[in-house]
Amino acid sequence: MNIVPQLILNSIIAGSIIAFLAVSFNLIYGATRFFNMAHGTIAIFGGYIAFFFFKTLGWNMYLSAILGILAAGLLGYIFDRIIYLPLRKRKASGMIMLVASIGVFTALQSLIQIFFTSEFQTLSDISVHDRLYTIFGATITQTQIYILIMAFIVAICLIIFLKYTIFGKAVKAISDDEEVAKIVGINTNKIIGLSFFIGSGIAAIGGIAVGFDTGLNPTMGMKLLLHGISAAIIGGVGSVYGAFIGAFVLTFVANFSIFWISGEWQEAVAFVLLIIFLIFRPRGIIKR
Amino acid sequence: MNYTVYYIVHLLTMFSIYAILGVSLNLVVGYTGLVSVTQAAFYGIGAYATALIAKTAGFGFFSSMLIGVIVAGLIGLLIGLVLSKFRDDYYVIVTVGFNIIAYGIFMNWHSLTRGPLGIVAVPRPKIDFLGLHLDFNNNLLFLALVLVFLALIYFLARFIAKSSFGRVLKAIREDEKAIQVFGYNAFYFKLAIFVISAGMAAVAGSFFASYLRFTSPNTFVLMESVLILSMIILGGLANLKGSLLGAFILVLLPELMRFVGFPNEIAAEMRQIVYGVILVLLMIYKPSGIMGEYKL
Amino acid sequence: MKNDKNIIEVKNLVKHFGGVYAVNDLSLKIPRGEVVSIIGPNGSGKSTLVNLLSGMVEINSGVVILNDAEKLKKIKSYEIQDLSITRTFQEVRLFEQMTVIDNLLVVLTNRSVFGSFFEVHKKYHLEEVERMLQRVGLEAKKNQLAKNLSYGQRKLLEIARALLMKTEIYLFDEPFAGLFHAMIKTVSGIIKDLRKEGKTVILIEHNMDLIRELSDYVFVMDEGSLLAEGEPDSVLKKKSVIEAYLGK
Repeated sequence: MNIVPQLILNSIIAGSIIAFLAVSFNLIYGATRFFNMAHGTIAIFGGYIAFFFFKTLGWNMYLSAILGILAAGLLGYIFDRIIYLPLRKRKASGMIMLVASIGVFTALQSLIQIFFTSEFQTLSDISVHDRLYTIFGATITQTQIYILIMAFIVAICLIIFLKYTIFGKAVKAISDDEEVAKIVGINTNKIIGLSFFIGSGIAAIGGIAVGFDTGLNPTMGMKLLLHGISAAIIGGVGSVYGAFIGAFVLTFVANFSIFWISGEWQEAVAFVLLIIFLIFRPRGIIKR
Repeated sequence: MNYTVYYIVHLLTMFSIYAILGVSLNLVVGYTGLVSVTQAAFYGIGAYATALIAKTAGFGFFSSMLIGVIVAGLIGLLIGLVLSKFRDDYYVIVTVGFNIIAYGIFMNWHSLTRGPLGIVAVPRPKIDFLGLHLDFNNNLLFLALVLVFLALIYFLARFIAKSSFGRVLKAIREDEKAIQVFGYNAFYFKLAIFVISAGMAAVAGSFFASYLRFTSPNTFVLMESVLILSMIILGGLANLKGSLLGAFILVLLPELMRFVGFPNEIAAEMRQIVYGVILVLLMIYKPSGIMGEYKL
Repeated sequence: MKNDKNIIEVKNLVKHFGGVYAVNDLSLKIPRGEVVSIIGPNGSGKSTLVNLLSGMVEINSGVVILNDAEKLKKIKSYEIQDLSITRTFQEVRLFEQMTVIDNLLVVLTNRSVFGSFFEVHKKYHLEEVERMLQRVGLEAKKNQLAKNLSYGQRKLLEIARALLMKTEIYLFDEPFAGLFHAMIKTVSGIIKDLRKEGKTVILIEHNMDLIRELSDYVFVMDEGSLLAEGEPDSVLKKKSVIEAYLGK
């Protein structure tokens, strides 16, 4: 049997999930200029909240997903208000912000571990069989189709949103120069807070998608983030298209590497790819 | 030994191991300003190298440890070479990546590490030398040995910090481009301290594996590196006594939580929550930690 | 020129950042043992020239010839001390979270990884530092962190650090900017002393009185190239120079 179609399909699905993290990481990075190390864990948090409503309380699946997205967005926003905003006001260095976000990551991951244990939890309904479709000999589940559609919609919305709304222009102004943005009258703290909300919400879509696709695990957040950052860097930090291209390059290379190296090493392959890009093409495929 | 003594000896042994890790990381983060989150990888390399060599090749503990230090140093050299290309955010993310890869290797290289099962029956050190017979199966004696090594590493680190080399490291931390103008090639200095730090962390790993007589991947997760980093930031960067203090608090904290009445599994998570919160609070209110001489 | 040997000759030097040419086909000769000022409006490429000579930025094309012999197409910043060049920075760059003493000691000690590893600073190192601190009037501040110094003190400490390098060539990028009168006197005294010792000083400066007082020769830069050169008095009278400064 030819496994190439299945590998292509798997890469596209994994790539879409990574893309949620990459674009949202980009959005927050653009506004704040620091690597938010808690970002992946916030994505996973969104997944767990959806899990809680959907699986533990038995609520409607779509409602639970929306609640998960909102909860993650809100959490991101709260972290900005109580941690990063005070740090910005103190003119803290990027490294201080980063270390603070490592603290957030540590606490949040452990908190999730206490409430949901470190076992894998899946969002997909085992009792109801996912419908399967076959394309060129590759199988895809209905959930995976939803993930693809979602990724597509998010990409389009984000591109339109960043290009045509005041918010998008303000984010761009802040990422070019925060001081200048302030001078021309942009309420930078409000915009940054909003980008934390939106960014964390988009990341949570990725977290929920993982929950349906492979299942959730508290320590998965950092790996997701690492992939997201890798994708953002490979594609070119600051670009929505770039984040998507980067995500797909990453997942295609990692998935197709099984022809040469066994599957457990996908993680390492993805990381080596990142290093190669950082050294030889640090500004990514799409230069901003 | 009665239970209380056994318990205190255990805590002191764990303190010494963490203190070695803290001192080693402080040389890189505190003195050289390179925020590395991959110390647990070298800790793990030391533990696995010692466990494997002592068990399969039948070498004594000390020669196994030496080989572990050399292996960690060599891998540190390779990683350091890659890291020399990066700074700030990118540096951090690449070190995070290395820790995740190292964990993946401990977990997935079954033929060598036995994966999640880990390596059991790691021997304790023995000294048979000039009529001296010391069997470190005795925990008290083992503690004494770890303390001796902690002292050795502490004084080596202090020697480095006070040497001209240490002053150059600080200058690199403050302004790498400026110090180069005065004739120092920062690349070699950063590489050297990274390798030394990796070797020191491997010593801690050797003791850890031998102390528990067991080693498995789960000790060397990313979170362990984060804990070591939190510990030295809490104690204070660029201050070696601060790292001892940080290690002391790190080891005592989960015990206090148990006393307060948290069940064991939750106490471990609570420790990390407390450490995360401490890290955030320190960054907001006191980035230099308790006795730090450098703030990020 | 009192010495027909040039210590530095710059030939067709080019540096561009993206599409902007900061230094554009610049050629000039710096005579040995003199104080040479480089003047020109902001953005004329003076600081870029100093950065090129000290290896802080990479040369795009052109060549730097030292002592009429060594031709350099690439200069690495950590190699300039071997070429007997040192510098100060327009925006003071100190080792902020280190003491004043350490800021100076660090340039006196062994340069190699192994050598410095087994070296602790000696008594004569400290004495040399103390003498230098006295010369710039910072001895009372020696145990303070550099970041706690005043603006003027920071500039003086940077100059002291350069002096301890004991090189043949000193690149001073606006050493007087923002200094009070007493400190200006200290710095101009230092430059005069260097000249007496036969050192070469390349000075970037805006204050015309100081340029007249200190320099033997002046280069005027505009938009990355040389606009004029000569003795200070004649150059500063040139119409083109005045125009470049005042705007056309």
